[in-house]
Amino acid sequence: MVNQLLFLYCALVIIGTALLTVRFKNPVHSVLAVLVLFFHMAGLYLLLNAEFLAAIQIIVYAGAILVLYLFVLFLVNLRQEVKVERFVASHRLSALVSICLGICLLAILPFFKLGAKGNYPVGRIEQLTHTKAMGLEIYSTFLLPFEIAGLILLIAVIGGLVLARNDKEVAENELSDSPSAGTCEVQE
Amino acid sequence: MMTIWSSWIWESKNHEHCLPAGESMHYLIIVLQIALLLAIVLLHVAYVTYFERKIIGHMQVRLGPMLVGWHGLLQPIADGIKSFFKEDIIPEQADKPLFLAAPIICLVTMLTSLAVLPFARGWVLADINIGLLFIFAMSSLASYGIILAGWASNSKYTFLGGMRSMAQVISYEIPLGLSLVGVMMLSGSLNLSEIVAAQGTSLFSTYLFPQCIGFFVFFIAMLAETNRVPFDLPEAETELVSGYITEYSGMRYAMFFMAEYIGMMVMASIGTVCFLGGWNGPFAIPFFPPFWFILKVYGFLFLFIWIRATLPRYRYDQLMALGWKVLIPLALLNIFLTGLFKVLVS
Amino acid sequence: MKLHYKPKRNLLETILQVEILQGLALTLRKLFSPPITRQYPQEKPPMYPGFRGQHALVRDPLTNESKCVGCMRCATVCPSRCIQIRFHEGESGERVIDQYSIEALRCVFCGYCVEVCPVGAITMTEAFEYASYERETIFFDQEALLANWDHFCAQSGHDETYVNPFWRPRGARESTLPASQRMKVPDDWTIEGQFVGTRVRQAQESEDARHAEAVNG
Repeated sequence: MVNQLLFLYCALVIIGTALLTVRFKNPVHSVLAVLVLFFHMAGLYLLLNAEFLAAIQIIVYAGAILVLYLFVLFLVNLRQEVKVERFVASHRLSALVSICLGICLLAILPFFKLGAKGNYPVGRIEQLTHTKAMGLEIYSTFLLPFEIAGLILLIAVIGGLVLARNDKEVAENELSDSPSAGTCEVQE
Repeated sequence: MMTIWSSWIWESKNHEHCLPAGESMHYLIIVLQIALLLAIVLLHVAYVTYFERKIIGHMQVRLGPMLVGWHGLLQPIADGIKSFFKEDIIPEQADKPLFLAAPIICLVTMLTSLAVLPFARGWVLADINIGLLFIFAMSSLASYGIILAGWASNSKYTFLGGMRSMAQVISYEIPLGLSLVGVMMLSGSLNLSEIVAAQGTSLFSTYLFPQCIGFFVFFIAMLAETNRVPFDLPEAETELVSGYITEYSGMRYAMFFMAEYIGMMVMASIGTVCFLGGWNGPFAIPFFPPFWFILKVYGFLFLFIWIRATLPRYRYDQLMALGWKVLIPLALLNIFLTGLFKVLVS
Repeated sequence: MKLHYKPKRNLLETILQVEILQGLALTLRKLFSPPITRQYPQEKPPMYPGFRGQHALVRDPLTNESKCVGCMRCATVCPSRCIQIRFHEGESGERVIDQYSIEALRCVFCGYCVEVCPVGAITMTEAFEYASYERETIFFDQEALLANWDHFCAQSGHDETYVNPFWRPRGARESTLPASQRMKVPDDWTIEGQFVGTRVRQAQESEDARHAEAVNG
């Protein structure tokens, strides 16, 4: 009962903050709404006994990625709201389309079926601790997908390095005649 | 809220052990424990500021506070009363809700981290399995308070302070986390009580010696994470007036102050738990099991203050170079060596 | 000369960060050294001769008035122009002071006025705690300056023989005085630590002479 109430609370807050994220005029406020959203998603993970995921959700998404978003927002420094032309001129048409989509989503709900029970029921996870269970699964059963994901990330990192380095070399060529730092000769 | 929540989650797992009639009593006891812990910690915060002023004063051949009470012993209380009754100034151009929320975010996240610290065997509010990660999560959230304070004040000094803090916290969270991975690998757990238990009771079986590289990295990253000298760039008085807290006054300023000192204490506790063997000491103290834990935390706090009295501030590019080019490779090397050691031993 | 900002260290010194450890050792040592703070309002600083405190006009016990003869030297020498004197000619040609005022807020406490006074009329006392909320009380007119002197004499027990050894004796004619009456330079002062003074000048002159001799010879 308490679990369900907490789930309801988390779910409602997630929906609410997601809407607010879109509605807020100020991008920093939007980012904060996303922060609250991530927080409640972590709450959902906690309700599912996935405490490792909950912590990682906060550390990685809230603590790192969102902070980087804020960084970008501050550096871009949007003083005025960017005005974009509407794709569809009519308000009614867009409302109709979104209502239809909503009905479709709701209509799908009854067909949602729980998957088959896996190797890790709640009791086993509690006994093994979630962190360990996840580590075992990732590094044995799902090793290949994990490595592929790692490789893709590595490519992204190398790409980022290459892009950054090009800029830096140009800058260094411009500054090539500046004296080297470290030691300084003083004539007396 | 998170404290109660996480402890509730933990409680719900041990639901079978509790009698339904005793349940409300149980929650009452937890609330009382939280209140007691908060009171003790806030009192500590007050007197850490006092001892910081005293120790730095004597290190600089001065006296420090002397007038309020015997040798200034009542100074922190006077300061507290003063900041409580001071005018709360909100700049006209500030983003008001965020300006008001920022110090609360800072303080609450820091206080929440206290919930998972084991002060002695069984002396822990929420003995959760991911204690270490929880601390990281909370300390990364605390940076939001600083960033938002910097942004919402709508002043260039606070904004620069907030930006610096943001870059610093992101950079130093990585070596901080990586330096503790070695501890996690050796103890095989993220639960702080189990990490202490895995270290054994003697000084020489603590992780200080096998994880000396990890401890070195952790210590420096800890200084940076708590914005202490020599990494206090976000609040550098000489260049940014007071960084992100320039526009704050009265109680809100005091809240940032408290958050900083609680952060110091939390980090000192993590260092004690992960590297110095937590509550274990050369001999057991009857009636007061957390004695050694508290003594070690005091040692860490003294070190914080001692370093503040000694070292000048780093330059910003040096700070970044140290974090990314020295500490992260060292922490990775430490993980590699620990893994190699474990493979060879087993 | 080559300045190395990065000191050369061997590997062990780099790992242990010796400079940081040395700094920490210094602060730890100082932690146990006695502090030099003076708890000011309870504990007054010691006064030394030559202290340039509050201004006063010496009250002449014979006339019970100021000794000032209106020569205007103090007002002329004052770098911050804070001394104002008005006078008129008396019957036998002497100058009668109408107004003598010092605006102490503008004063830089150089003591030149005391040094040039030929009759020792103006002096600087050892009083220094005369801060006030009103500017007018720190603007001294003749009465206030005489009152300062009375107050100082009553407080410290000095009388009109109060002579500051830094300054030349009062009332003596200038022509009878040696060039200056500064305090003697102690003998343990080395030439290296000094920038001015007779001994430095002499040492430099002899060295220059030797240098010139070497060049000529």
